[in-house]
Amino acid sequence: MNPPFWKKFFGPGLIGSLSATPFLLLMLFGFVAPLLCVVWFGLMPPKTFELLQAPTLENYRTIFEQTYFKSILWSLALAVATVIILLIICYPLAFAIAKIFRGGGYFITYAIVTSLFVSENIRLFGWVIGFMKNGVVGGTLAKYFDIQIDSLLYNIPVIILGMVYVYLPFMLFPLVLGIKMIPDPVREAAFDMGANRWQVFRKIDLPLSMPGVMIGSLLVFVLSIGAISEAKILGGQKVVTIASDIETEFTYAQNWPLGSALSTVFIALTMVVVFLTLSRFDLEKLLGKKSS
Amino acid sequence: MDISTALPILEVKGITKRFGKFVAVDNVDFFIRDGEFFTLVGPSGSGKTTLLRMLVGMEKPSSGELKLRGNRINELAPNKRPTCMVFQSLALFPHMTVGKNVEFPMNIRGVKDSDRRTRAMELLTLLHLNPYRYYDKNVTQCSGGERQRVALARALAYDPDILFFDEPLSAIDAQLRKVLQKELKDIQRQTRKTFCYVTHSLEEAMVMSDRVAILRAGAIEQIGTPDKIYASPKNAFVAEFMGEVNLLSIVATEPGKATWEANLNRLPIHIPVDPTLESGAARKLLIRPESLRFLASGEVAGNSIPVRIINEFLLGSRIQYHVEVVPGCNLTVERLREERTTATEATLGWEITDSQILES
Repeated sequence: MNPPFWKKFFGPGLIGSLSATPFLLLMLFGFVAPLLCVVWFGLMPPKTFELLQAPTLENYRTIFEQTYFKSILWSLALAVATVIILLIICYPLAFAIAKIFRGGGYFITYAIVTSLFVSENIRLFGWVIGFMKNGVVGGTLAKYFDIQIDSLLYNIPVIILGMVYVYLPFMLFPLVLGIKMIPDPVREAAFDMGANRWQVFRKIDLPLSMPGVMIGSLLVFVLSIGAISEAKILGGQKVVTIASDIETEFTYAQNWPLGSALSTVFIALTMVVVFLTLSRFDLEKLLGKKSS
Repeated sequence: MDISTALPILEVKGITKRFGKFVAVDNVDFFIRDGEFFTLVGPSGSGKTTLLRMLVGMEKPSSGELKLRGNRINELAPNKRPTCMVFQSLALFPHMTVGKNVEFPMNIRGVKDSDRRTRAMELLTLLHLNPYRYYDKNVTQCSGGERQRVALARALAYDPDILFFDEPLSAIDAQLRKVLQKELKDIQRQTRKTFCYVTHSLEEAMVMSDRVAILRAGAIEQIGTPDKIYASPKNAFVAEFMGEVNLLSIVATEPGKATWEANLNRLPIHIPVDPTLESGAARKLLIRPESLRFLASGEVAGNSIPVRIINEFLLGSRIQYHVEVVPGCNLTVERLREERTTATEATLGWEITDSQILES
């Protein structure tokens, strides 16, 4: 006969359940409860601050009738562009850190980690000083080369530059770990059996480092789809991202229910993209732990 | 065809490899005959892996020349050489099935899909892996022995002129290793490929090889057929490497006589007469465990010493005894099961002709 289910918690597993409690409480009150609040608030009548009213789909009608889809598409496009550019930039660098540099790899790692010590917004304002009219770039060109240029800010490429710059570590380090997992003899064996560099990359390196590629891409995607400062600080109001729409609803517009509904749509969308990608690329299978 | 007269396929001339000041491989000369099973054997640190990596092209020799079928291949990258290596770790591709692993070299060469599959099936069958069961199996789910066979099938699919092996059997348990050794020899005979095997176990080398080269500190100590090396090891290093043998430290006194320096005790013994041996020269005396026997009372042998039997090990049809001559000096004796003795004190004897004088 199976012991009653509570035996599992109060028997030998008591210490285990007890030590899991802080984390459980944190997740419950710090993650699940606020999330449910947001979803529920999205169902409240517009421009109210009460949680105990009859639920309505009014806010969702507003979202689909107005042009919020534009900001969602902008966020999506910026995030996808950031992921693709970071993959192209980071893969060779990660490969060098993981397989080629010895001590140099650590130096690059520390240098990149150090940049994270400074707040993201301050670093972005640094770019503003660099790119504004008569800023570091424009001023240098004017003084020494007599070339007059206008401000380089407030356009889409500079927003993407900012995002690529800010999220680089989140792509680089998973890639380094992913590439480090490729056993050297496996690469040598492929080379030994006639494969050239490109074939080794396509048939060995890329598939075996896929876990790193996937984790890095998802991390950067999730972070950059919710990005707000890059578009605001570097992009002026050139593009409005969904995150900045949500912020507006909660602050200037004082329409918390609409903001909550937007958040709900946004979270659902991100989840769909992430889970679709995860199911498409089965991490376990990529690692060879499961048969096809 | 007799392998011992086949032409050399690979010639190694004065190959040296230096890492900074350290000389890993020192001016090594040898050749491998077409179709033979050649084994490089040496303890760890003897430079055998470095030598192998130069032969397959993964390291560049500091000096010397490698010739494959008469053509210099020093500068040829591994993917341009018609040779292939089975790695110690096997280096199977973990993200591919058994079938795709075996097909990999053919895939690189651009062999047609259906031909590739047919050949992979043939190779799996040759290696006693049922192709219908294993073709779609993931390599990570295969057992150690199965993975060995997949690695060998993949190397054979490359159809190399020479197949190199870097101790692939070292991680396999003793029983399976014996089976796989014989299988490997079988495959070599069937495919008539040239195999060059690297191992630290002379026993393993003896079982499989047509010829064996023994490496010590980056240089070749002795090279020859297993028979030749077993019958006349060049020195004590080679003899000791062959496994359990008795090596006695002796100092020659007069022709046919010497003192055995057994842990501070000096015992006079008879040795084979060697006119080149000067009085006072220190040598090693090799006596195989099976050449030693317990004497019945009244029985006479070339040498006889009283000993104490301290241990007995049953090895199937034979029994091994550890006997103490003087405290701190033991000898190994191997007798047939029928000659088992239960005594604790005995007289140990051997014939002078059963002992060999070796340089230490």
